[in-house]
Amino acid sequence: MKEVNKEVLVTSANKLMFDMSDEEYNNLLAEFDVIISQMNLIGDIEGVDEAIPMTFPFDVTNTYLREDVATPPMDRNEALRNAKDVVDGQIRLPRVVK
Amino acid sequence: MGYMDKSLTYIHEAILKGEVTPLELVKEALLLAKEDTNNAFEYICEKEALDAVIKLDASKKNNLLYGIPVVIKDNFSTKDIPTTGSSNILNGYVPVFSSEVVTRLEKEGAIIIAKSTMDELAMGGSGTTGHLGVTYNPWDKDKKHQVGGSSCGSAAAVSAGIVPFALGSDTGDSVRKPASFAALVGLKPTWGRISRFGLFPFATSLDHVAYFTRNVYDSAYILNILAGRDDKDASSSFNKVEDYTANLSNSIKGKKIAVIKGIIDSISDKEVVKSFNVSLSYLKAQGAEVDVVDIDVKLLKAIYPTYIIISCAEATSNNANLDGIKFGNRIEGESFEEVMVKTRTNGFSPLIKRRFVIGSFSLLKENQDELFVRAQKCRRLIVNAFNRVFEKYDAIYCPAAPSIAPLVKGSSNNLSDEYLIADNYMAFANMGGYPSITLPLGFENNMPFGGNLTAKPFQESLLLNIAQAIENGTGLKDLVAKRN
Repeated sequence: MKEVNKEVLVTSANKLMFDMSDEEYNNLLAEFDVIISQMNLIGDIEGVDEAIPMTFPFDVTNTYLREDVATPPMDRNEALRNAKDVVDGQIRLPRVVK
Repeated sequence: MGYMDKSLTYIHEAILKGEVTPLELVKEALLLAKEDTNNAFEYICEKEALDAVIKLDASKKNNLLYGIPVVIKDNFSTKDIPTTGSSNILNGYVPVFSSEVVTRLEKEGAIIIAKSTMDELAMGGSGTTGHLGVTYNPWDKDKKHQVGGSSCGSAAAVSAGIVPFALGSDTGDSVRKPASFAALVGLKPTWGRISRFGLFPFATSLDHVAYFTRNVYDSAYILNILAGRDDKDASSSFNKVEDYTANLSNSIKGKKIAVIKGIIDSISDKEVVKSFNVSLSYLKAQGAEVDVVDIDVKLLKAIYPTYIIISCAEATSNNANLDGIKFGNRIEGESFEEVMVKTRTNGFSPLIKRRFVIGSFSLLKENQDELFVRAQKCRRLIVNAFNRVFEKYDAIYCPAAPSIAPLVKGSSNNLSDEYLIADNYMAFANMGGYPSITLPLGFENNMPFGGNLTAKPFQESLLLNIAQAIENGTGLKDLVAKRN
């Protein structure tokens, strides 16, 4: 496991497209002592690494095709109602090629 | 005379007898909501509720929810009603569609009078982290105790007698824990039993729609309305929906109940254990067989860290769409990347960002096998252990929490057995998708605590049947905190 330091936490935050203040990073670094201790409890479980990862509570097999029924789509203006900057039915973003 | 502190059945009969009208009920609930002092509400839907009640279809007045005021947690999409998930990043967001459960409630004639506060984006268990601040426990007039979370506002609204039913969501114990702290019945049915279409996703493999009522019958009746396949949610089940009120009064003679030794042993509060044991005597008196069963304490202690890793990791991708571009509280920048970074940096609270970083850290290439994948493997072992119990027993029954509601400014030892096991074990029901219900057990210093009962997937009828037997024994139902 990667060593927990501020640089790693900054990388982890930036991957998710946000940043934190120095104080927030320091608080999180302190929290990680407990978090790593809690995570180590999982490593203590006998046979854990031989188990098959569980991604959902139980297997669900849905073998059906939905009927091909046309339904009216949402109105474009309605779909764009919550976007802050809309021009000609499209969301406007800062210019990419300056 | 007020009706909002009564059961659904009582209010429904009052409507049928002409003692009260839906409009009077809605006005009563709106008045109570406006007088709320516990910070239960994100948004009170006064205009929307008054418009809806006038348009009620009188031909549906035999529906139990006809004209009944209800509250919806603010992570359910409600068309034309602001929905923030108690996060600043969604300030001003007004959904253009309603979640399936909201649509079903409205079809039955329920009237939404408010959206309730919650821990930000449902990622908390204290009811203290939403963007409007702390939500208080109505049972504590001094406002020192939490009501629990993340469905804090919904719990506060029902326990304060503002509405008889409120919708919540439960990813780890976010309805069942506050139900314990607020003397309520909190039901989380089987994963897939209720459609999640329109519920803001937190951790998809663990998220459940859940809700609060003040008695078991009302809980069963609501399930009749909400359960069922929905093509808009690929994870919703095709399994047959039963009449969940039909078997409530069946005998529980011969039903086998397991009490997990490691959970009871981790509780230090003698009053909680004493009341729990008294409730066991009610079950035995009605013919149930109760055994104390062992599950490896190491596995019980691993439930919480397993939950944290999986939920935080899933949350990072589920919340990737909160960038301010398509919707939400966009903050301008020089490039689209800067727009996203500024929006997310300013829109998420420090706690949420820390949770996201934990998730991101566990997903780093170098850490994934040792943290995220190992947590998924541990989940398998935890669920296998509980499945083995369910091979011999109809239900697992334990205290829902080790104590009454914690203090808002309290602290806990996050590595103690009590914290890791008794305070957080209920997430096993999310990991295995089991139906699970919390109901009142007793009081300590005038603050409530509850018990939790869990059954095999899709055994809601049996679960509610046993819960009804416990409620009959304790007599603890229709409890409402005195208004401050």
